[in-house]
Amino acid sequence: MPMLEISNLHASVDNGEKPILKGLDLSVPKGEVHAIMGPNGSGKSTLSYVLTGRDGYDLTDGKVSFEGEDIGELEPEERAARGLYLSFQYPVEIPGVPTLTFIREALNAQRKARSEDEVSAPDFMRLIREKAAILNVSMDMLKRPVNVGFSGGEKKRMEILQALVLEPRFLILDETDSGLDIDALKVVSEGVNALRSPDRAMLVITHYQRLLDYIAPDRVHVMSAGRIVASGGPELAKELEAEGYDKYVRAA
Amino acid sequence: MTVQMTLTPAETALLDALDGATGWRAATRAALENRGLPNKRDEAWKWTDLRRLTGNITETGKISIAGSREPDAKLPVTHAPTDMLPRLAGALGGEARIYTLSDGESLSLDLSASAGVGHVIYVVEVPAGVSAQVFERLSVADGGFANIAVLYRIGEGASLDRIVSTGDCPGILALSGGVDLGEGATLRQTTLTFGGKLIRLETHLAHPGAKAEAVMDAVYLLAPNRHADLTTTANISGPDGNLSQLTKGAVASHGHGVFQGKIHVEREAQRTDARMTHRALMLGERAEIDAKPELEIYADDVQCAHGNALGAIDETALFYMRQRGLPEAQARAILIRSFLAEPLDRIRDPQIRDSLLEDLVTGLEVLS
Ligand SMILES: Nc1ncnc2c1ncn2[C@@H]1O[C@H](COP(=O)(O)OP(=O)(O)OP(=O)(O)O)[C@@H](O)[C@H]1O
Ligand SMILES: [Mg+2]
Repeated sequence: MPMLEISNLHASVDNGEKPILKGLDLSVPKGEVHAIMGPNGSGKSTLSYVLTGRDGYDLTDGKVSFEGEDIGELEPEERAARGLYLSFQYPVEIPGVPTLTFIREALNAQRKARSEDEVSAPDFMRLIREKAAILNVSMDMLKRPVNVGFSGGEKKRMEILQALVLEPRFLILDETDSGLDIDALKVVSEGVNALRSPDRAMLVITHYQRLLDYIAPDRVHVMSAGRIVASGGPELAKELEAEGYDKYVRAA
Repeated sequence: MTVQMTLTPAETALLDALDGATGWRAATRAALENRGLPNKRDEAWKWTDLRRLTGNITETGKISIAGSREPDAKLPVTHAPTDMLPRLAGALGGEARIYTLSDGESLSLDLSASAGVGHVIYVVEVPAGVSAQVFERLSVADGGFANIAVLYRIGEGASLDRIVSTGDCPGILALSGGVDLGEGATLRQTTLTFGGKLIRLETHLAHPGAKAEAVMDAVYLLAPNRHADLTTTANISGPDGNLSQLTKGAVASHGHGVFQGKIHVEREAQRTDARMTHRALMLGERAEIDAKPELEIYADDVQCAHGNALGAIDETALFYMRQRGLPEAQARAILIRSFLAEPLDRIRDPQIRDSLLEDLVTGLEVLS
């Protein structure tokens, strides 16, 4: 049984007025990393929101199961506690809430939801120091409000830092490489690779081969107009980079 | 032509209490008989109908004052305040309590009102050059109408931190505060309220310009069926004065928040720097917030600005937080707290600041 199994997924925005996903099938087995590529507006971010339960992104038909459980009706926080993590294409600024406080509260909320003990303040500090070092994130940055005034690249590093602390079971990375300089791309990719394990899986949304050079995917899927229109091995990403989406967009 | 109005039982009881009054007390009685208690036909009360809500409160209540110390003096009220409510407090609240603060003093006053109508009037003197703090906590029981008037006189070069906090208020509270600011004096006022059946908190600032500085900040958080009205006026009469006001609020469905702020800058008040900001969150579709910020500027060389913004919780931030595992109610509470905390963060006394921030968190728990 795949870890994530999506079948015939239809989803709409604007109170069901505007269909975006139109019969999408995808399965990601445990331990694997799958990449999704596709033209702007094909519905990649929409898929990430539908999977994580964002209000306003309505699942109108089909099914999403995570580790055998139908998660279509679960609240976003319930999905998070089950281990679904989304690294946002555009991480959100939260004025007035220090990043450290936010990550600690999130970690403890997830642990509580799983009936695990809360992490003590000193243990949390040890944990965050260790993970922040991996991503070159300073303590100074962690004291600032969540994402407020961070550069694009800093925001993306912060997304991966949170993933390292929360240790989700399934990661969706929505254009985590956009806005990163060459060094940051390397650092972030190392962070992501540190999370690779036989118990985890990932869905990596990207426009560029360069991220996939670091995070070697097991499978690559092409998305167009709300559906997966082609799937293949890592060589498919290289072909797309060379030839573009033309033939898939026309095929769709 | 005067239209004969039908008096409410509360008004009739007040008139009875003023029977046989002389001087300004008699004038107060006549004004009450003519115009009644403040109500929505009065421009300054259009969103806070005190008359309607006090209607049937006739018996005499009691306002007990637990202070960190006794007043220095109790004196008969000889001068009439201008507005109806402080006039009534002066006429019916007995002798005025006079507190004269000493340098470094921190005075706390806990006023709690029972059911029934109660009046209190007190005066706080901050002599020239003195630096002091006053912390007023107010509560009114169900069925109560507490009418409290206070006058602050802040002398030349003196400095006062005033913190006003209303606790549990199922009853009705009107607090009318007058502040006379001396030259080069400083006022830092912070108010926190969770509303009541009706709460009206007024501050009327007489600002001389003259390098005096005033901060009047406020926070309101209103659950369903709670009402709070924060009304301030500031008259700046001389040059080189400073005034800054920040009010932040959050109102649940069926709660009602009112902010009225008026800054009047006289012709002589050149180089005034005055800022007034009101920002509030509507926490539900049936929340009601009325705001009226006003600047009246007669001087030409001033820096004055006002801003007023009503909004809802940022749904994108809410989803982001929930995606990280925070339950919706907790995520909402964190967002509201961080929105409201700013004025409280500026309170200088760390103990009072922390205790008000804690009250805020408790208030948010009640809301969710
Ligand atoms: N909340 C919304 N309301 C209206 N339209 C929306 C909403 N969210 C997405 N859309 C539309 O759905 C389509 C797919 O958007 P989506 O963000 O999923 O694309 P994408 O594949 O992630 O594109 P990109 O590569 O540019 O990030 C777009 O046409 C977009 O305008
Ligand atoms: Mg996208």
